Amino acid sequence: MHSGAALVFVAEMYGMQLDQLATVLGGSQRRATAVAARWRAAGHAQAAVLSPGPRWVWLTKAGLATCGLPFTANTPGLSRLAHLRAAAAVRLALMAAPQFTAGGAYWRSERRLRARMGGRIGLREHVPDGEVHWPDVDGPDGAGLGWAGECWAIEAELTPKTSARTVAIMRELLNRTGDYGCLAADVQVPGRSPRHDRAIYLCSPAARPVVARARDALGVLGSRVEIRLLPAGAGLAGPGPVGDAGGEGAL
Amino acid sequence: MIGRWLSLAVAQAVLRALAWLLADLALIAVAVAAAPVSIVAAGAAAAAWRQGWPPRRLLAAAAWCGPMVAVWLAWTVRGGSGWPAVAAAPYHAWLDFWLLARAGSPLRAAAVVAPLAIPLGLAAGGLAWTYRTGLLRSGAGGLSPAASVAFDRRQWRHQVRAATGRIAAPGSVPLTVRGDLLVVGAVIRTVGHRAGRLAAVGYQRMRSHQVVVGTTGTGKTTLLLRLWTAFMATGLRRHAAGLGAPPLMVVLDCKGGADARRIADRFRRVLRQAGARSIAIWPDEASLSLWTLPPRQLTTTLVDLIEHGTGSAAYYADVMEALIGLAVEAPCGPPASSRDLLGRLEPGWLAMAYASSGTAADHALIRSASRHLGDVALRFRTLFRRLGAGLDGPGGFGDADAWYCILEGTDQIPVAEGQARALVDLLASFAVRGPQRREILLAVDEFSAVSRRLPIWQLYERARSLGLAVQVSAQSWQGLAAGEDERYRIAASAEGGIWLLRTPHPEPLTALAGTRRATETTRRLARFPVWRHQGTSRLNEIPVVDAALIRDLDVGQAAYIYRGGVTYVQVKRLVGAPAAVAGRPAAAVNRAVASGRAVAGDGGHADDGGPASDGGRAPDGGRVPDGGPAPDGGVAGPKARPAGARPGTAGAPPDVSAVLDAAFGPEPRA
Repeated sequence: MHSGAALVFVAEMYGMQLDQLATVLGGSQRRATAVAARWRAAGHAQAAVLSPGPRWVWLTKAGLATCGLPFTANTPGLSRLAHLRAAAAVRLALMAAPQFTAGGAYWRSERRLRARMGGRIGLREHVPDGEVHWPDVDGPDGAGLGWAGECWAIEAELTPKTSARTVAIMRELLNRTGDYGCLAADVQVPGRSPRHDRAIYLCSPAARPVVARARDALGVLGSRVEIRLLPAGAGLAGPGPVGDAGGEGAL
Repeated sequence: MIGRWLSLAVAQAVLRALAWLLADLALIAVAVAAAPVSIVAAGAAAAAWRQGWPPRRLLAAAAWCGPMVAVWLAWTVRGGSGWPAVAAAPYHAWLDFWLLARAGSPLRAAAVVAPLAIPLGLAAGGLAWTYRTGLLRSGAGGLSPAASVAFDRRQWRHQVRAATGRIAAPGSVPLTVRGDLLVVGAVIRTVGHRAGRLAAVGYQRMRSHQVVVGTTGTGKTTLLLRLWTAFMATGLRRHAAGLGAPPLMVVLDCKGGADARRIADRFRRVLRQAGARSIAIWPDEASLSLWTLPPRQLTTTLVDLIEHGTGSAAYYADVMEALIGLAVEAPCGPPASSRDLLGRLEPGWLAMAYASSGTAADHALIRSASRHLGDVALRFRTLFRRLGAGLDGPGGFGDADAWYCILEGTDQIPVAEGQARALVDLLASFAVRGPQRREILLAVDEFSAVSRRLPIWQLYERARSLGLAVQVSAQSWQGLAAGEDERYRIAASAEGGIWLLRTPHPEPLTALAGTRRATETTRRLARFPVWRHQGTSRLNEIPVVDAALIRDLDVGQAAYIYRGGVTYVQVKRLVGAPAAVAGRPAAAVNRAVASGRAVAGDGGHADDGGPASDGGRAPDGGRVPDGGPAPDGGVAGPKARPAGARPGTAGAPPDVSAVLDAAFGPEPRA
């Protein structure tokens, strides 16, 4: 990925650590550091050590304007760092799958979803950590992907929530019919096709049992929930396993 | 002497007339001098009279103008010197108004004085309207004592017209509003309640017992449908937000007949629009299983379903209970259907079932009671034939978001009584032992018609202990329950409030609202038809709810009595989507998979909005034309196939493990 596309990538993910930026650029961490330095010199980005591990990079107002993204420039909140890293790791892992590229899939980030919702964030709607849109195209072997045309909701679960809350979130994701930012009356319209064909949960080992129980509690609806473990490197560096460093509950 | 007295009287009259004239002239002069304020005040008072507003509304509007006045003052005196400039600002505005008006610029003149004239005019209009309404309510105003009655009737008409206009405006009456408030319609008038534009009740009041009384054709069904729909919409939203368990709405329509089917269809359509995914009509389209009750409860319910005599017949009741207990609690497990139970009542079955594991007492009981086995089987065979297949499963209350149960209480009273008893037992069992906690609202219409086996107060008590809310509706006070004590017990324990529509005998219910203090004035009659404005006033206790007004309510108007106050409401009618179109059962199964709801029975019993169709999806999972109306009135979405289903196929969602395994590895094992 060239540095311009990486700039948009960082903007969409709120901010990234340099090791993940290196993966995005397809190079070493030294190259990522150099690219980040160029961005800083141009006033497009800022960098600082916010957590254990490599430095974080995030876009300034000028950088967001350069990307043409209508986001508000903010330093990533300390309480969200673990979750941001996990979400970025999930996106990178999914993009590395051959089917993602072959299927022409598109990751719509949480920041994009929230920006689309504008000032109506306070409506208690749950926003997933990302959406993956699969266009109706053929797969790598020339045959159509089974899931072509689907839209997936992606959730990175670091910290276990209560089972009831997880069930409520799953139900909301799977029953939602309207896009984020749509009219309140269109959020759940009975009779319309659900927006998300399935919900993909990437969990820490600590959160997995609760998510699995919540899926079982959904009954038939649970057939549209997939559970996997978070990819390696999704946790913040430092002592403690993945899942002890915050998570979505701290958002 | 007489001439002098007459001249004195004439002089007094002339002087009095002059004084009145001077006072009126002074008032007119002030009104003209303060023309902008006078115009706003007159307009505000006229609007309040026309719309039937309470005076408080004008005064509140004046208070809300405070920030505007502050900004105006700050702007006006920005170059001035402190408080003297502030004090002089109104005078200068008034002076500028007249100068500009004289110069031929009326619009500029109005703009200059508006920030001051509007709040002052509103306040003056509010005070004038307060004086007028207070005068008439106390009986001291008007040409005759009857003027206050005429004024009240006129104001009621104005208030009704304003409320009707409010609910007619598209989108003006939402189903629910922030704070979990269920909007019923527009407020006509309030006594002892806060006045507002929309009549809304809190969700928690729907979780308490309520009573609804109104004769046929007064809009009772419209009111109930609105309350049920709002309850469902709010409950689902709260559940989605993690604030509560999912709602479950159960309606027992104890009248039955074609009318019940028509209401059931409306029920299905409006609740579907509120977000309920599965709505079951019992026993026409869905069934419940009596056999899911715990064995001991099942025995009690089955025995209670049979009519018993008294005296010596009690002996046979005991024999029957013993035999049914043995059959239900047999070592091989409880029966799974009525046929299964009848099979166990065949000669020899009980002896065989208990041969290996029964106690000596069991064997003795089987031996002594076996000669009655045929009679017991005969009675239950008759009972099951009467009850029909509705209670023979499969299905449970947890299978749907809402149930509309039709009991033929008018046509087949004994059957309906048995069904009512069984349904209540099933619901109670579901509330206690259901797989998932639900926020249950049980609405019973004309339950007194079928409450011989289960007194309604007993239902109330059971519901309270189980956390169920019961909403009892009837056509009259007498229809609430069989006895007067029972009626009072039901009405007095309606913590969620009483909804009263037009009914000929509302006094027992209106009395529950209590009384309030009001000023009563007597006036001296000079000579008919002239009453003097002289008399005495005293405080008197008058009813909060006017029973005569209840008798005179129009269609769609209701009085909500709660905590010693009343709100008169013009109910907003809910319009459901067009009726569903029947289709193939397979589609129902697909739909259940897609929406995540189980279908009771074998694909045709429970309903999630229509027996077969689902918005935007063709029955076979293929596409319907994009943007075209779906068969059940929904709008076709961008995707026309079931969520998660492979294009061109129906059923399970496609396997995506290839991409997920490649990205994240295989699914972890528990």
